[in-house]
Amino acid sequence: MTKLFNKYGATTANWRASLRRNHRRTFFVIGLFFLIYLALGILIDLYIYSGSNLEVPLSRIFMALITFQVIPYATLITAAVALVSLWVTFAFHNKLILLGAEYHQVMADTARDHDEQQLYNVIEEMKVAAGLQFMPKVFIIEADYMNAFASGYSEKSAMVAITRGLMNKLNRDELQAVMAHELSHIRHMDIKLTLMATVLANIMLIVIDVLFWGVFFGRNQREGSGNWLVIVIIVLRFVLPLITVLLMLFLSRTREYMADAGAVELMRTNEPLARALLKIHNDHETNKEQYAQDYAKTPHESVRREAYIFDPMRAGIEAKSAVSDFFSTHPGIKKRLSAIGFTLKS
Amino acid sequence: MWIVILILLIALGAYIVMIYNQLIRMIEAVNNNEKEIDIQLDRRYKVFESLINVVRKYMDYEKSTLKDVVALRNQAQQSKASGDVKGHMGAENKISSILSGLNVVFENYPDLKANQNAMQLQEEIVSTENKLAYAKQAFNDSIERYNATKKSFFQSMVVSLFSGKLDFKFTYWQLDQDKIQEQEDYKVEL
Repeated sequence: MTKLFNKYGATTANWRASLRRNHRRTFFVIGLFFLIYLALGILIDLYIYSGSNLEVPLSRIFMALITFQVIPYATLITAAVALVSLWVTFAFHNKLILLGAEYHQVMADTARDHDEQQLYNVIEEMKVAAGLQFMPKVFIIEADYMNAFASGYSEKSAMVAITRGLMNKLNRDELQAVMAHELSHIRHMDIKLTLMATVLANIMLIVIDVLFWGVFFGRNQREGSGNWLVIVIIVLRFVLPLITVLLMLFLSRTREYMADAGAVELMRTNEPLARALLKIHNDHETNKEQYAQDYAKTPHESVRREAYIFDPMRAGIEAKSAVSDFFSTHPGIKKRLSAIGFTLKS
Repeated sequence: MWIVILILLIALGAYIVMIYNQLIRMIEAVNNNEKEIDIQLDRRYKVFESLINVVRKYMDYEKSTLKDVVALRNQAQQSKASGDVKGHMGAENKISSILSGLNVVFENYPDLKANQNAMQLQEEIVSTENKLAYAKQAFNDSIERYNATKKSFFQSMVVSLFSGKLDFKFTYWQLDQDKIQEQEDYKVEL
């Protein structure tokens, strides 16, 4: 094995177990999201109904609401708002993701040179291995930094984009591993999932904000049970943003692990992916200053941050304070490597 | 009380329908993936023909090679038509070995190697073989998923209810024992 790995001990990757584990985690996070969302709707209904029925205890209003004796209008309206905004987001997302980047599309017969042909071939091979019905659109972004991402809310509208830097600095196998990672995002429908979570989270934060200011400026002469609600709303106003951010990040990291495991599943070897990840990581470390400028020069970089195979913030680029493991969309390089069977020697 | 039982029955029915549909999807995926192997085999044959034609310009690399490939191709198709799976796989595997011979030829002729067209052809060889291998892998993967689902608990009960429609025995794509031994013993001679 090459020098790249001299600090790591190599074993095989149990991608089946990894896929299962992260599948469970996703269920948990998404379920929690829906529960919070519903709870928020119920909270508004409770607030509204308790305002007009001051003498009825909260528990009775709550029971009436969830058994539909009283129609929970607010819950239904927030649900409808969520559905509409999800639809709108899905419809416009593909136009958004490449915003600001300098790119061009590669097709089977428009490859300009050997490298572009190879890229297209590699993706087509992975498409065959994944059993996808459609070939994703392939884009090359003209940039020196090494990164790639996948997008599209269905197999049909799927696309992968890759920077020129990544294409030039990786060999065929490593390129294939990166593409396997991206196609795994597509076949696991991660884009749909994260978009859905993002939209729900945003609506949730808007709703709690409106509710908070409503309580603040509304009749604050509440008695008995109503007071409870006011306290809950005020606490949620400050806690909910934190909770959603943590949930989103947990979800995103879970899906990264899944895509890594999926890449190993498609290639049946963990070494190329591990090599590619290390190379991308090291490359970002050595060219930190230059890449920081390059990333900053490309407008709307934040649209893509979560979608990238490698989060630039991981290498300290964009220099936001406290890049701790807790607040990152991607797991650290060591954790990702150990999840696919390359553990750091002590 | 009756309502509860009714709801439970409906839920059970929905669950069975779900499992049924899931298994049908998996069976069709296996069928489609099997056809994908044929598609890739066919594609490989076409790539080969043009490849050998290019290489021929540079050297005498066996006018007979093309004949061999054509012969093997016919043999493969015949055995496939007659349902002789072993013969079919054997012929296809022999085409693969001719391919690796071609790659060695590329290495031995610097002129050829430097040629941009030849480089692209070499990339084409690698990609073609990879696609074939990945198609086989995808086929086996879909069988694994189908078998695992079919044999797990609850699903297996549904399968026994509709065994005519849901119970199939797919064979994994694999080499026969002699071939495995032969590949195992194979060494590159330089």
